[in-house]
Amino acid sequence: MKKWLFNPFQYIAGAKSLLIGFIILAASASICYFSKIHFNGVVGSQKSDTIAPFYFYFLEGLIDWACISLLLYFSGLIFSRSSIRLVDVFGTQAVARWPMVIAAIIGFGIAVPPGINNMLPKDLVNMITPSMIALTLLTLVCIIWMVALMYHAFTVSCNLKGGKATGIFIAAIVIAQIVSSILIHSIYNHLI
Amino acid sequence: MQRNLPHICPSCGSGLQVKTLVCDECHTEVTGVFDLPLLASLTAREQDFIIEFVKSSGSLKIMAQQLGLSYPTVRNLLDDIILKLQPTSKK
Repeated sequence: MKKWLFNPFQYIAGAKSLLIGFIILAASASICYFSKIHFNGVVGSQKSDTIAPFYFYFLEGLIDWACISLLLYFSGLIFSRSSIRLVDVFGTQAVARWPMVIAAIIGFGIAVPPGINNMLPKDLVNMITPSMIALTLLTLVCIIWMVALMYHAFTVSCNLKGGKATGIFIAAIVIAQIVSSILIHSIYNHLI
Repeated sequence: MQRNLPHICPSCGSGLQVKTLVCDECHTEVTGVFDLPLLASLTAREQDFIIEFVKSSGSLKIMAQQLGLSYPTVRNLLDDIILKLQPTSKK
């Protein structure tokens, strides 16, 4: 059970994982469209009252997934002794994003009043409720779970272990987070 | 109880050699100094993996299907065995 929750990649990889991953990306984008949750970075999640077209939510997921997968694939090519496959890296990374489906569902419970972007900090503090804190913490758990899955997906698909794998993964996450955030925000500013 | 063939000296950590071989039927003993085969340095599980790998004509895809594991997991197991079989200086 623990392996299926944190390292299902011992059993699922390749084209099968890519197909499942695409379904996960499409499902999370569809839910996000209705719950108004934006994945504005590889490990980012934000509720917004701004109305965006459906394809933008799908694009966010695609950018996040592509950024981290590309970085990890090239890292694997450089540092791994094994002959790694593109389909394994991209497929397992897509499956690793499945906790974000739960994060997208949690978004329905987080209420964001219209015009929140123009509010003063003191008004925002007054709006914080215990349920909002609980739901935010739940979202954080989903993000941590996703990162754990992404790490295991990387170690299996690129055959890297120990400190070397951890160091490369942390560096890749940081770079991917910066690149994906910049890309998403520039597309967002262009669209809206 | 399954007994594992020792290949490392418990005293100094050097590789062990075979000194005596015995015929199971007539109990004739052959004494000398014989090197252990390279595969003897692998665990029983790793030796089973090699046998299954040969049986499946070296196809990792078939191996993955038979073991119920993903392709990269099986490839990683094989790569770990290859690394183990390499001389220490190459690791």
